Amino acid sequence: MNIPWRMRANSVFTVVALLSVLLIVASLLVILLPILWRGGSAVVFRGTVEFRRMQLEQFQRGDTAAVRAEVERAAGVRRHAYEIIDRFSAGLDTAGLETKARQLHREFGAQLRNRNLDDDDIFDLRELSGELRDEFLAALESSDNAEALGHLETILSRTDDERRLHGTLAAAFFDMAREYRDVVGRVDLSHREEYLDSLQQVKEAMQNLLGPQSSERLPAIVMEQYGATRWDQAQQHLDHLLWSETWVAVVPGQPLVKTRAPMEERFAGTELAELFPYVRDNAEAMLRPEWTFYWRYFLDDSMSGHYFGGVGPEILGTLMVTVLAILLALPVGVITAAYVVEYGRETVMIKALRMCVNTLAGVPSIVFGLFGLAFFVIYLQPKLGLPQGSSILAGGLTLSLLVLPVIIRASEEAIRSVPPSYKEAALALGASRFRCFVTVTLPAAMPGILTGLILSMSRAAGETAPILFTAGVAMGPIPTSIAQPTRTLAYSSYDMAVGDKMAMLAPHNQFGMVMTLVAVVLILNITAIIVRGRMARKLRGR
Amino acid sequence: MLMMEEPVKTKTTTHTPVPIPQATPQSAVPHSAPKELPAPIIRSEGFCLYYGKKAGVKDISMDIFPRSVTAIIGPSGCGKSTFLRSINRMNDLVPDTRAEGVLAVNGVNVYDRRINLVNLRQQVGMVFQKPNPFPKSIYENVAYGARLLGVRGDTLDELVENSLRHAALWDEVKDTLGKSALALSGGQQQRLCIARSLATKPQVLLMDEPCSALDPIATGRIEELIIGLKNEYTMVIVTHNMQQAARVSDRTAFFCMGDLIECGLTKTLFTTPTIKQTEDYITGRFG
Repeated sequence: MNIPWRMRANSVFTVVALLSVLLIVASLLVILLPILWRGGSAVVFRGTVEFRRMQLEQFQRGDTAAVRAEVERAAGVRRHAYEIIDRFSAGLDTAGLETKARQLHREFGAQLRNRNLDDDDIFDLRELSGELRDEFLAALESSDNAEALGHLETILSRTDDERRLHGTLAAAFFDMAREYRDVVGRVDLSHREEYLDSLQQVKEAMQNLLGPQSSERLPAIVMEQYGATRWDQAQQHLDHLLWSETWVAVVPGQPLVKTRAPMEERFAGTELAELFPYVRDNAEAMLRPEWTFYWRYFLDDSMSGHYFGGVGPEILGTLMVTVLAILLALPVGVITAAYVVEYGRETVMIKALRMCVNTLAGVPSIVFGLFGLAFFVIYLQPKLGLPQGSSILAGGLTLSLLVLPVIIRASEEAIRSVPPSYKEAALALGASRFRCFVTVTLPAAMPGILTGLILSMSRAAGETAPILFTAGVAMGPIPTSIAQPTRTLAYSSYDMAVGDKMAMLAPHNQFGMVMTLVAVVLILNITAIIVRGRMARKLRGR
Repeated sequence: MLMMEEPVKTKTTTHTPVPIPQATPQSAVPHSAPKELPAPIIRSEGFCLYYGKKAGVKDISMDIFPRSVTAIIGPSGCGKSTFLRSINRMNDLVPDTRAEGVLAVNGVNVYDRRINLVNLRQQVGMVFQKPNPFPKSIYENVAYGARLLGVRGDTLDELVENSLRHAALWDEVKDTLGKSALALSGGQQQRLCIARSLATKPQVLLMDEPCSALDPIATGRIEELIIGLKNEYTMVIVTHNMQQAARVSDRTAFFCMGDLIECGLTKTLFTTPTIKQTEDYITGRFG
């Protein structure tokens, strides 16, 4: 090998090494940045007036008077939109009119019986009311404008009867007929079915965007009590309102193609057409978006299955389960490692122990989860007098088993790498082996043990499978003792993703939760790294 | 205080000159009279130590006398460290060691099963080849052995100060007792290790090549210290450096291949060795 070749090989190696470092950094950024960026939108976003109303009503936060005034101002802009819808739906929603007509006839009959009238008169009047009702129903049923008008004209032409029925309930038939005649004059009845469908869509979109109208009864579910609380969400709902999506067969035999058409076109020529430009142009005035820094996201309890609120209980649960697992695993792990290194010679038992530890490290986490369920939850807890069921204790125990091999191996390496001269010095001064380990070897091994701790902490905080059956619940109160189950970040992320359409409805919360998990793990790690750095510096004598 | 002088080289052989100090400190001190020797503090009679099947030292019979410095010299792998480490049973750290014969400190065989190792090691302190202070503060280093004995509070402070003074380190570190011992220089670290050993008030101090990792100036200070401590402690020092053995020791033992070849007064051994092997070694023809 001549010199130039060696130098070339050398520089190739340098380049490859640099590239791999860059690759690692890049992949880290590619994985973490989007999560952090999108997760950040759970905390910093443009909150609408609905958000502030929600915060006020659910958490008693904010200035009541100011929020109420803002709601009023927004409602002023919204009113016109609702008026448009109400006017339009009057003509279409014939089901209501139908019921009303039938009811009117029944009530009129009952009223007649209570009056002192001849049986003949009663019969006549009932007959008359029945005719009017049938005629009106026929008009409602018809989807042809001319036919419907014909029926209505028939009713309205009976002016004698109108005079005769004046002051009775049945007189309302004439008013209804007159009203409906106006509607028929405006609306093309042949499209009524289609309109009805689309109208329903429009109403839903409006409800999603602006929340229930103040006149309506408040929905029972918190999620439905508010419109879009975030401007990005509002824009999605607005899109649903303004555009209709249909699946159209472009080429026969080929998959259908999704096409978007403005909703406005569907209602072209009707009164409702006016709604769309109005909402589009006034959306900001209706929702009044403002930049919001929702730092309480990390403290708040969540509502309606993570639709509103924050991840406070999840953070708490994650910390409790993780810390418990570490507290259980660290002493056991360090003592095992100390025994293996300091006391045990390379006997069969030590070799078997080491093999067990290595095997344990490779066992899939779901196996630990099922073991935890079978042993801790079902067997051990009733023995200890605790209720049988998921609990922080069972989760902590399961996770401690999971991280034990990591801690043992890291501690073993750390204890092994303590210079033997330290041990010699302590022993030569008359220290017993135990004293020597506790006062000299252990402190010197601490940075290495902490490295194992960091690894296992990240693992414990991020594991879902062992928690699944032993400690996790999707919803529930904040635990007050370790005998109760808890929500954790990892488990709730999983639950949101698979549970229902929550991940779709509130993607920011899904991302926010994952971001929080990453942040919690990072903070735990950074703390441990700082502590380790301090210790190592002290050990090096600086 | 005894003054150290630069050793002046004197030609004794044609091959390798072995410098003999012209005015060694101990020559100024009245000779520990060979006629009326005090009772030995360490007595070895037919002592053997085996690593597994291999003998580390074989059939060693020699006496070490109180308040004197005994140097053990010899080529690498001759068993001098093994013998030294047997005295406070540090060889126990090596698996599969077995001892035969008698090695007694104060009349008690150290390889007796019933012996209290903690007491033995407090009686017989040790200083190692490489300075090995604990990664703790200077104070904690010195206090470590004393704490094991249950010394607390003011007594401990006093003991730490005394030990550091004895090790001629006090003036250098008295203001920085809380600082890490690892921040000291190599020579200071070794003196700290000596102070640490002194804090348990031992009778015997074993030194395993205490200067081999130090520069000449630091070596000089340690040697000075050894000579100063001679009046209070019994010291056994293993060294590769024959000038050092000649400078600091009263008696010298020459080991080779696990055997004790010759043992006697340093002056005698270096000037008129009785055995050819010793002469070859100290004149540099062998080893």
